[in-house]
Amino acid sequence: MKLPLSWLKDYVDIGDISAKELADKLLNIGFEVEEIIELGKDIINVKTGKIISIEKHPNADKLKVCETDMGDYKTIIVTGAPNVAEGDIVPVALNDSYLPGDKHIVSSPLRGVMSNGMFCSGSELAIDNSVIEGAEINGLLILPPETPLGVDIREILGLTETILDVSVTSNRPDCQSIYGLSREIATILNKQVKQPDLSYKTYPAEQAIPSVAIENTDICPLYTGRMIKDIKIERSPKWMRDRLRYMGIRAINNVVDITNYVLMEIGQPLHAFDINLVLGGVQVRSAKENETIVALDGKKYNLTTDMLVIADSQKPVAIAGVMGGEYSGINDDTHTVFLETARFAKGSVRSTSRELGLRSDSSAKYEKGVDFYCVETGRERALALFDKLGAGKVCDAKVDAGVTIPEKKVITTTAQRICDLIGIDIDVKVMTEILTNLGIEVVEKDGVMNCTIPLYREDIDNYTDLAEEVIRYYGYDNITSSFIAFAHPTVGGMSARQKNVENVKDIMVSYGAYEALTYSFITPKQYDLLGYDKDSDMRKCIPILNPLSEELSVMRTQLIGSMLNSVYINLSRRNNNFRLFEIAKAYIPESLPITKLPKENETLSFAFVGDNEDFYQAKETVSAVLNSLGIDYKLERSNKQFLHPGISADIIDNEGEVIGSFGKLHPKTADAFKIEGTVFVGEITLEKYIENEKKIKKFSALPKFQVIDRDIAMVIDEEITIGEIIETIKNAGGSWCDSVELFDVYRGSQIEKGKKSVAFKIYIRCDEKTLVDAEIQEFMSNIINSLTNNYNAQLRS
Amino acid sequence: MQNKINVLVAETIEKINSAQTQKEITDIKVEVMGKNGALTSFMRNMKDLPNDQKPLVGKFVNEARVKIESVLDAKFKEISEKELKAKLDAEKIDITIDKHDRKMGGIHPINIVRRKVVDFFTSMGFIVADSPEVETDYYNFEALNIPKDHPAREMQDTFYVVPEKIVLRTQTSAGQIRTMEVNKPPIKMINVGRVYRSDDIDATHSPVFHQIEGLVVDEKITMCDLKGILEKFAKAFFGNETNIRFRPSYFPFTEPSVEVDASCPHCKGKGCRVCKGTGWIEILGAGMVNRNVLKVCDIDPDKYTGFAFGVGLDRITSIIYGINDLRLEFENDIRFLKQFN
Repeated sequence: MKLPLSWLKDYVDIGDISAKELADKLLNIGFEVEEIIELGKDIINVKTGKIISIEKHPNADKLKVCETDMGDYKTIIVTGAPNVAEGDIVPVALNDSYLPGDKHIVSSPLRGVMSNGMFCSGSELAIDNSVIEGAEINGLLILPPETPLGVDIREILGLTETILDVSVTSNRPDCQSIYGLSREIATILNKQVKQPDLSYKTYPAEQAIPSVAIENTDICPLYTGRMIKDIKIERSPKWMRDRLRYMGIRAINNVVDITNYVLMEIGQPLHAFDINLVLGGVQVRSAKENETIVALDGKKYNLTTDMLVIADSQKPVAIAGVMGGEYSGINDDTHTVFLETARFAKGSVRSTSRELGLRSDSSAKYEKGVDFYCVETGRERALALFDKLGAGKVCDAKVDAGVTIPEKKVITTTAQRICDLIGIDIDVKVMTEILTNLGIEVVEKDGVMNCTIPLYREDIDNYTDLAEEVIRYYGYDNITSSFIAFAHPTVGGMSARQKNVENVKDIMVSYGAYEALTYSFITPKQYDLLGYDKDSDMRKCIPILNPLSEELSVMRTQLIGSMLNSVYINLSRRNNNFRLFEIAKAYIPESLPITKLPKENETLSFAFVGDNEDFYQAKETVSAVLNSLGIDYKLERSNKQFLHPGISADIIDNEGEVIGSFGKLHPKTADAFKIEGTVFVGEITLEKYIENEKKIKKFSALPKFQVIDRDIAMVIDEEITIGEIIETIKNAGGSWCDSVELFDVYRGSQIEKGKKSVAFKIYIRCDEKTLVDAEIQEFMSNIINSLTNNYNAQLRS
Repeated sequence: MQNKINVLVAETIEKINSAQTQKEITDIKVEVMGKNGALTSFMRNMKDLPNDQKPLVGKFVNEARVKIESVLDAKFKEISEKELKAKLDAEKIDITIDKHDRKMGGIHPINIVRRKVVDFFTSMGFIVADSPEVETDYYNFEALNIPKDHPAREMQDTFYVVPEKIVLRTQTSAGQIRTMEVNKPPIKMINVGRVYRSDDIDATHSPVFHQIEGLVVDEKITMCDLKGILEKFAKAFFGNETNIRFRPSYFPFTEPSVEVDASCPHCKGKGCRVCKGTGWIEILGAGMVNRNVLKVCDIDPDKYTGFAFGVGLDRITSIIYGINDLRLEFENDIRFLKQFN
């Protein structure tokens, strides 16, 4: 909300307080001043001067030498302006003056003739026709002939105003006006706010005032109409045009300007109809199907039945609260005005304005909220201005429709209750004074306060709202610090889920990975890049109805795509060796479109990038994570389409569910993501196990008997995996087989093609006794037999 | 005899002193005191001596043995030390080389701060709650006293999944209701997580960011308690000399509502670029839990009061680390991620 100080001064005597001090005070009561705008502050030492005589420049055809009357002295200015004429009054930038854009003007010779400054055009002063007519012509700004000489141009142009741009919270629509803010400022300065001038003379109506019928008082609780006759359409006075300009509103004519002026001053939108166009009576109703209207902006709008319109007996003449129709607007022939002052529900105006893509100053205010007080005061203020400006004669005929204006709310509370909420003791007298200054009538007896709330404070509903008003003016700085002095003790901490997530993060970090964060929404194209089938379940992403872009349009069901994007970014910046991980949610809907909230699965994704990475390092990391969560799993060769078919694995839990996959990135996927280099990636859905609490394990006694080891080497078919061999050894060895370690794999000239030589160390231990040689030999031969029988392994000695 | 022994001792000591290796020492030992050693032969020859000389010679021989042994031991020790030193010297490596063995990775700066925040509040008896990111209109808006026509509900601010029904949560405050539906006072909880707003991406805006929600509901909770906790919080995160101030504000789910500023940690409140010359930086919004919110959760607002606060984790992180562009958070450039651990 813009607040020009000169306008504020109409209502509050602010003394000589500076704009900065006022801004600080406003901040303390909850209104942040976003900017202090000082108009004309970049125009310095530019004064009005009259061109007395013009002579040709001796050395330049296009330049003229002008003697200029600055009021109390004369000076010479050389100019090249095309429209220079004797007798004209123009802005003169004198020696050592400044113009917008930090342009510094000093006296200097122009082609040999000294010029003591410069005549200015409107554009050099950075102004347009809204400041003064003629500002936009190509040439000097010619000021009106009655302009006094030697006067600061800012005063002439109305560029001396200081304007505060005040941010108003959405609970205070009553402060979206000059008058509303004046009330608050009067309270901080401990001054009385002056009442707006609402007085006007009335004249007999010469015709009946149109009737008003409201279809639904929930959407339009109040609609009042007044008639103003003998309308004289003309330009508004300069003060009014200047003030509208400060607010960023273009002056049009006196009738329209009055409505805009009141909108800014009181916060009430008004609309002026030419009465001839609403003669049959006004209906406030929902638009009918297929109705259209050409609004004041000249565009045609298609209306729907959930939009509220003002209509005559045939057709809509205005979109309620948003914009009038072109057809019923004020024109040069308007003789009598029907002035609408109404309250419309903010939601209705907002949705209509959104749907039509049509906003106005009026709709902006209605969306914030208009109260009953505002309707009455706004209308009376407008009528007073019609009278004052001589824009027309206010008729004595009235039409008021809608609900009866409600009684003021009364809230009963105690001073103690307010103090208990805030936590400090504030004297009931101080409270009463603050509330009274805000227009709340307080009747206090023995600490019990009966507070009558003015109609413009619809935000005040109960004692906590009153507590806020009290502390806002008493000062938040007076709140002391205490440390939940009376609260009961509670046991805090993280849940098992949160602890597990943090623990997995720590494991990933200990394996050298850095944590990444990526957006939860992705482009559905990721599924193409990852090579998912057209009908894959993974593609069943929840779409966002109003995404920022297609790139961020669906909730992801996997993290790996985003991870690969991060890999790409790093590689493109020549970061070649790194490990990244992310733990975030995958959003899995039960069905689409969703009818209930999706599952949000805690998911780990990682990428190990660089030439020194291999499958087994990824496997080691994965196994550390799975073990930490106590997951009983096995690995099987993966056929995930984005992984290398020979260098990848699926993680399968003991219920047979694939909970994750990892391995080398498939070259096709790497291409799709524009990735060059060695990349191992993986994704594990942790959700199923993330709530697992760490089990307490019972101690078991350390083994009493020594472990013995034996080596075994064999040549075996290439197809047989180390895992299978170890499994076979363990099965054949039984409980004495403590562990099996692979220590050599050899393929080469001494070994038959299609075979490999493998060597293991087997650790043997019995819990009951020290094993003797014969027992060990039997143990080993069981293993050897099993390997020979199962795999046709040839033992090497 | 005695003379002979003395000569042997003197010669042996000389030999020991000139020895260079452990082997030479061992050889000398064998040569002198071994089975056929010189000194041993004196002992062996004692049986041929007259009885009265035996004790005397025995004494001499023993003294000689003790003497030689002590010299031998000392020399042996000296040489071993020397040899060990030589061995260690030879094993010397260049410790300035960096091998690309595995190094520790690191947590994202947002989550480093998040962990500190969680530690801070759990130490005071706060539980850490989770709540859905894809959330119903009820929890995200309606139960929080945000009316149907409130601007925050507009499509330009909120990502919708199902019109008027399901949204991406715009605030962790949604978790307040879920907590209060299940837990009854005394309640102390924080809820940390991702939130979503329909903001275009730039240096200070991100459509995905993180919030920390705090909630305390009990008997006799006051605004002074709110100030006390937040003051401790600000000191813990921005330094012990940090002050806070309350400014009135408005949130539908708290009444009274405040914006909380901390004295600028960069200039200590003197005014600088970071705080735009004001000496204060806005760190969070807070207030006393609105009575309507307590009522929806079936908590008696005449018996219990509470406070709630919402902190932008990304903002706090940026202030602490001096990160000047939010986009860096989600780019995952490893050179960025490596800076904080």
